Amino acid sequence: MYKQPIIFFGLILPLLAAVALISAVLYGKSEVEASFNEKSQHYAGFEMTTKAAMGLEKAVSQKRAHMERWQNGLSQESLSEVNKQWKTISATLPNKEIQLSAYDKTAGSTGLGGVSAQKSSQVRLAFRGTYRTMQKAFLDLESRMPQLQLQELKIDPSQNQSSLLNLQVTYTAWEN
Amino acid sequence: MDGASILSLYHDRETGLWQTGPTFTEEHLRNIPSLESLLPGIVKHTRSLGAKSLGVVLHIADEFATAELNPGITNLDSLEELRAASQYDPSSILADTSIPADQASWRIMPYAADQRGPVGTAISLSRQYEPLLNAFRNIGEEENFPVITQALSAPLIVIQGLGQVLHPTAQRPFVVILQYPWFTAMAFFDERANLLLIRSLQHRGLRRPTNFRHALTTTTASLELIDPDLYVAQLGQVVDQTLLADLKLTFPNQRVEEVISIRHDELPAWAPEPLIAVTPPSETSALQSETFTSLREDKWATQDFLQPSREAKEVFPDQGEMRMLRALKYVRYGLFLAVFLAVVWCSMGIIQIIRQPEWSFNPQEAASTTMKVAKYSQEKKKIEYWENMLADRSKAWITMESLVRLFPEQSGIQVESFSYSARPEPAPGQVTVGFVKEWKINGLAREEALEFLNALNTREGIDAHFDQIAKVTGNEAYQTDIATRTLVVNIRTLENSSYKTDTSADIKDTGKNSFPYTFDLTITQRFDAKDPMAINSAKAP
Repeated sequence: MYKQPIIFFGLILPLLAAVALISAVLYGKSEVEASFNEKSQHYAGFEMTTKAAMGLEKAVSQKRAHMERWQNGLSQESLSEVNKQWKTISATLPNKEIQLSAYDKTAGSTGLGGVSAQKSSQVRLAFRGTYRTMQKAFLDLESRMPQLQLQELKIDPSQNQSSLLNLQVTYTAWEN
Repeated sequence: MDGASILSLYHDRETGLWQTGPTFTEEHLRNIPSLESLLPGIVKHTRSLGAKSLGVVLHIADEFATAELNPGITNLDSLEELRAASQYDPSSILADTSIPADQASWRIMPYAADQRGPVGTAISLSRQYEPLLNAFRNIGEEENFPVITQALSAPLIVIQGLGQVLHPTAQRPFVVILQYPWFTAMAFFDERANLLLIRSLQHRGLRRPTNFRHALTTTTASLELIDPDLYVAQLGQVVDQTLLADLKLTFPNQRVEEVISIRHDELPAWAPEPLIAVTPPSETSALQSETFTSLREDKWATQDFLQPSREAKEVFPDQGEMRMLRALKYVRYGLFLAVFLAVVWCSMGIIQIIRQPEWSFNPQEAASTTMKVAKYSQEKKKIEYWENMLADRSKAWITMESLVRLFPEQSGIQVESFSYSARPEPAPGQVTVGFVKEWKINGLAREEALEFLNALNTREGIDAHFDQIAKVTGNEAYQTDIATRTLVVNIRTLENSSYKTDTSADIKDTGKNSFPYTFDLTITQRFDAKDPMAINSAKAP
């Protein structure tokens, strides 16, 4: 008489409850795992991004000071900056061994700057001076203004003063 | 209970222990309300022993009556139907239709199947103890404690137990005489130990039935049993102790013995029925016959004479259902364990997951980091762009250093003019653009300088010069071991038309006409578009 209720309440119902509970628990675990897998992918990406960010930050921070200095120079008008720097440089050199005889600027991108979309100008300078003093002056000028790319250089002996040379220099100056 | 005394015992089936039970009086049995104070104590005591149910087995030994079955019943195969009919329609199986069958409880006891007599006998007990057993079942309901009852006929239990203790003479019939205080029962067996007949003789206030010897003799004769063994079982404290001796005197040619009684610490020797009832009959018992096999397998001796009504029985689960309940309890334990293990396993897994740093990761952090990377990447790209644009690809001071080191002092060479140019080599659509650097030097050379100029006018010679400049100045543009660069030198040497062979003192050493040769030197260095120093064609990012 009680066989069916016993089987129902004693076996089927607990079995269903157990199956439901286990299913619920497994479902919950699978949901957590799915969420975890998704987070893991994001996390892996995050870790890679963090490493990349740290690497980039290190690389960038090491050059940031240079970049600031470059940007400062690039933002100046080329010819006036050359003049300004030249005055500073020439003040430390013997006047007899170095003389700026002419200078001018051609706006627009030609020469080395003609192939780049980046803005540039041509700065032409003419000097009289001794070889080594001029070389020192160029070293100083090009160190102060790395945006200067030598486009042309002509050296001829001076007709009047044998110890002095005539130098004609054309620079391509990158500008911002 | 045998009319003269009431023996009560507790028995734990699991441990096999027996204990003295509660004290019952005649008043308890006759006046059920007087049991009210006793029954809860029994349940309480049972619970205290750790039992989960109580079985009340009543061995009725104060009455035992038999009645002939309807002579028309001859088919032993219908014993199961007879068993059912004895319970629910006893009048249909009795020979004497005048017996008020419904006033007693009837059961069947089959005889041996040798067709010499009836197929069995009907055994009846009065329903006088039915209220007692009802009271036990009711207290079970009240106390919410499972109580089942069973009323057994004590003589039938003893007959079942004979198989374990009796060793009759081979090929000789025997009679077992069961002495109870209020009646004597006789069980007649043939030479194969098959039950032929059970008779009951009431004592009617005496110590033994008045017609006992006559009844024994006539029944033996009617069953055609020749000199059967006689076994006497004294099953009461106040039974006639002289019967055994009398029988030995009366039947000197027959084996007359007392059935070996039990020896037990708790049970008296005159009351073996409880012990027999709880001891499963062995298949290797001393007596092997159809009767004892049937008693063992069909459980004729343990028929419940006072079982609850069908309606009352249906209220409670039967044994099969109880077994099923017990079995399902273990199944539920298994299910609970499975659920528990699953929950633990899943919980461990979830805890392990939650403890990972990935779980507590906030995606917003990734967004900010991604923004940082984008920002740094942009900054890096800009830096790299300007590193390229501001690279020392063409510098005046290095060009002058190169010229100085190209012609060492006292080398017999005088430079007349020097020009240098750098020009791009446009290639539409290229990200970077190559360029060409060209050095042109005109000068004068003495005889001793020709060898030097010839050495310079080789690949090795000009490469060595450029490598020296790269090393001294640290300028990468002069490196020659980069595959994207080519370096070509060309020196043309001519006789100096103005050369004068006169070596007088008025001709200066550095005068143009003091050098026998003129030369023009052209060096061309080409950087292709894949060179690290190639110029970015795009605008700064």
